[in-house]
Amino acid sequence: MSKKKASLKAGKRLCGTVRLFFFLAFLLLFCRDNIGKGWSFAEWNWNGLILAGAVPVMITLGVSLLPRLFPADRLLLSLTNFLCALSVLILYDTKPVYARHQVIAYGIGLVAMVICIYLIRGIRSWRFPAIALMPLSLLLLALPLLIGEEKNGARNWISFAGASMQPSELVKLSLILSVSWFMSRRKMLPCFLFTAACLGLLMLQKDLGTALLYFGVALLLYWASSGNTAVTLLGAAAGGGAAVLGYRLFAHVRLRVAVWRNPWSDYDNSGYQLVQSLMAIASGGILGVGLGLGSPTTIPVFESDFIFSVICEQFGVIFGLCVLMMYVALIWRGTVIAMAARGSFHALTAMGCTVLIGLQTFVIIGGVIKLIPLTGVTLPFVSYGGTSLVSSMCLIGLLQGVASLNEDDLEEDAGIASDGLD
Amino acid sequence: MKQLRHRFKLLALFLFALFAALMLYGAYNIVNYGTRWFSSSHNPRVAAQKENVIAGDILDRNGVVLASTAEDGSRVYHPDAAVRSAVVHTVGSPENKVANSVESFMTEYLYGFRSNLPDLIRSLFSGGTRKGDNVILTLDSALCANIPVYYASHPVTSGRNGAAVVMNWKTGELLAVVSLPTFDPADIGVKAIDETGQPFWNRATRGRYPPGSTFKIITAAAALRAGLSEDEEAFWCAGSLQVDGQHTIHDFSGEVHEAEDMRKAFKLSCNPYFAELALHLKDERLRSEAENFGFNDNVLFRDLVVENSVYPTGVRSDYEVAMSGLGQSTLLATPLHMCLVAAGIANNGVMMEPRLIREVRSQAGSSVLPFSSEAYRTACSPETAAVLQQYMKDVVQDGGSGYRANMSGMDIRGKTGTAESSLDGRDITYGWFVGYSADESLPYALCVLTEDIDDGQTGGTTSALVAKDIFGYLLRTNSR
Repeated sequence: MSKKKASLKAGKRLCGTVRLFFFLAFLLLFCRDNIGKGWSFAEWNWNGLILAGAVPVMITLGVSLLPRLFPADRLLLSLTNFLCALSVLILYDTKPVYARHQVIAYGIGLVAMVICIYLIRGIRSWRFPAIALMPLSLLLLALPLLIGEEKNGARNWISFAGASMQPSELVKLSLILSVSWFMSRRKMLPCFLFTAACLGLLMLQKDLGTALLYFGVALLLYWASSGNTAVTLLGAAAGGGAAVLGYRLFAHVRLRVAVWRNPWSDYDNSGYQLVQSLMAIASGGILGVGLGLGSPTTIPVFESDFIFSVICEQFGVIFGLCVLMMYVALIWRGTVIAMAARGSFHALTAMGCTVLIGLQTFVIIGGVIKLIPLTGVTLPFVSYGGTSLVSSMCLIGLLQGVASLNEDDLEEDAGIASDGLD
Repeated sequence: MKQLRHRFKLLALFLFALFAALMLYGAYNIVNYGTRWFSSSHNPRVAAQKENVIAGDILDRNGVVLASTAEDGSRVYHPDAAVRSAVVHTVGSPENKVANSVESFMTEYLYGFRSNLPDLIRSLFSGGTRKGDNVILTLDSALCANIPVYYASHPVTSGRNGAAVVMNWKTGELLAVVSLPTFDPADIGVKAIDETGQPFWNRATRGRYPPGSTFKIITAAAALRAGLSEDEEAFWCAGSLQVDGQHTIHDFSGEVHEAEDMRKAFKLSCNPYFAELALHLKDERLRSEAENFGFNDNVLFRDLVVENSVYPTGVRSDYEVAMSGLGQSTLLATPLHMCLVAAGIANNGVMMEPRLIREVRSQAGSSVLPFSSEAYRTACSPETAAVLQQYMKDVVQDGGSGYRANMSGMDIRGKTGTAESSLDGRDITYGWFVGYSADESLPYALCVLTEDIDDGQTGGTTSALVAKDIFGYLLRTNSR
């Protein structure tokens, strides 16, 4: 019991430090916004101060109050909230209007996370949802092709009532849930057909980055549940073949690969993004140029694909490595939760969420540091984008739901054990 | 379930491995390419910093100011046109005409991006505009200014384009890096510059030429490594050698050397001998020796950007291999790299990393980046180097092809080269001389290249003369 208390205390201290960090950071940006404006308060920009108060409150809500409703994994919560708040901070520094959208998405994300936790806790039989989600997902994925709009070479957005969203972000959740359920029942054919249909639709949208993620998650989950290495390798080979085919078919894929091989050969046009990204990272050096300084906004789409480069320029390579370590910690917690799950459906769901977050982070950061060709996926929790943030929070919600069930089971066990002693 | 958990563990390890790859790759790149990325002329941050910070000065090894910032913020260069033109490719020019000069490559210091905290605070309180760090080069600007004069003083090299590199083979310090034609940085934006002959291109570091017979140093090293003794390999030079049944490799101007061993062949720069040697060694061994000497290496020196030298890979015909033995075929090398080869032989097989920056000093006088000399790579064993040192001595001091570089008072050794290539359908001959002074008190290596020499001229009759002048300068200044 004392060990638990000690870890609780450490968690509180960590949470306090995180809140202080964001309070000071926003205060600094508030000062920057208003320096040299004199004492006429009417002209001041108060947004920084509002955020300096609001963001720590949201972190408190997310990290300290949620675990009172049900047993949750505090470390996972702290990491998630830190990354979300970091996103708001970076966006407020570079483009304040994005920060406002992101704060709203962060709030919605917290609510969505709680809903997901209750869904996992509440639904006893996933048979019907798992089956019903499949046609629903395919319908959602088909929508952008019918009424969608094209952004950055991919047709993966739909908009209604003034708000736009990316269906493929939400379908991630149903992919994990449906595939996990069928795999836990050892029914591989529906998984295969469903994944193939999703991939086909994503290919039609030309959203190859997301297709890569879906494929990777489905393949790794298949391997985990079946242990059939031969078929998995065959699947990976088929994926490689599809990648080569994509390279042959799509001009924009060929361009991405050419840029990856040497961005400097065409820095004025196709290589511009990546060159600017590399220069931003190099400009930050080890310790960074400091919050609010540098010129990270020269990187095109700095707010989503390249937000990691912005972090590296302002806070330095050291901080960038720390952010990577946070994702590593997140994967570690996710795996621990998956391993502690009682049922194979819950275990596979938790592992699916973990693998998805891990792969997505690898794919985008690998892209911006030129380890692999760039694919336009978001950095979970940090990139600008409401749908992406909410769906990432939902993934954490599913994980937390499984974690809370694990805790319940443990308490039940303890109860039974003590009953036996009496 | 137990198996499932086991596989989860493996999956997590797989993801961790991916993240480890990210971290290692990122860290490796920042360490090796960070400065290159940052100092790219496309970096908008540099332009922004120029508004706020006065660039530091660039000085040579003797404290001569080569570039500084005027009151109005513009860059001013050495008052003597001869000096500022000779060092322009290394120091830089307005409008960044020369790629990767010190002015752009050292931007992070010159513009104070790397200032330490005490200096930043001091400048904050002292008021006024902040000034970047001073960069002190290893160059001897007087020597650099003399080199174009040496070229002009010989009819066979006068008016020719070319490049000369002088370095200290013990420490790697570069004393001179000169590319001809030069141009006057003070003319930029004032009057039109004649761009025939590509004056903005630094031939010493970025020009890639067929190394010609200077490459025989490496062919000989490969033969020695393969265990072919220098005396045994007797060979009858009939003045030409037939390869592949259709190609004939001639000696220069049809000379016939008759019976010879490797030592004599090296001294006289016998082409059939080294072509035969290359065929005997085969492509694989010759390439691996060239790579030991830094060919095909993605060179990442700390202070300067140098083009990679090339030894072709892939399947090649016997004729191509034979020609590679003489540094022809499609081999390419920069003058700086060939200087490094000579320096490596002089330093008993260890090639020192060429250094251009002696020190970076903050305005307050503290050393921001002190000098350290490091080995670039070990090219060959000391025993092989000793044999080659003897060969190179014969070339200069025993009536070999480089005897014109010989001079009393100095132990000069070297190798000549006469390389051919065609450019725009015209055959061009390049005259090379690479060499060094073997005196411990005068540890200098050099490479002199003259482009487009006249028919009948060789490296030994052109570049060797300039090399001798440079050695003369080094002897005079060192004894002074």
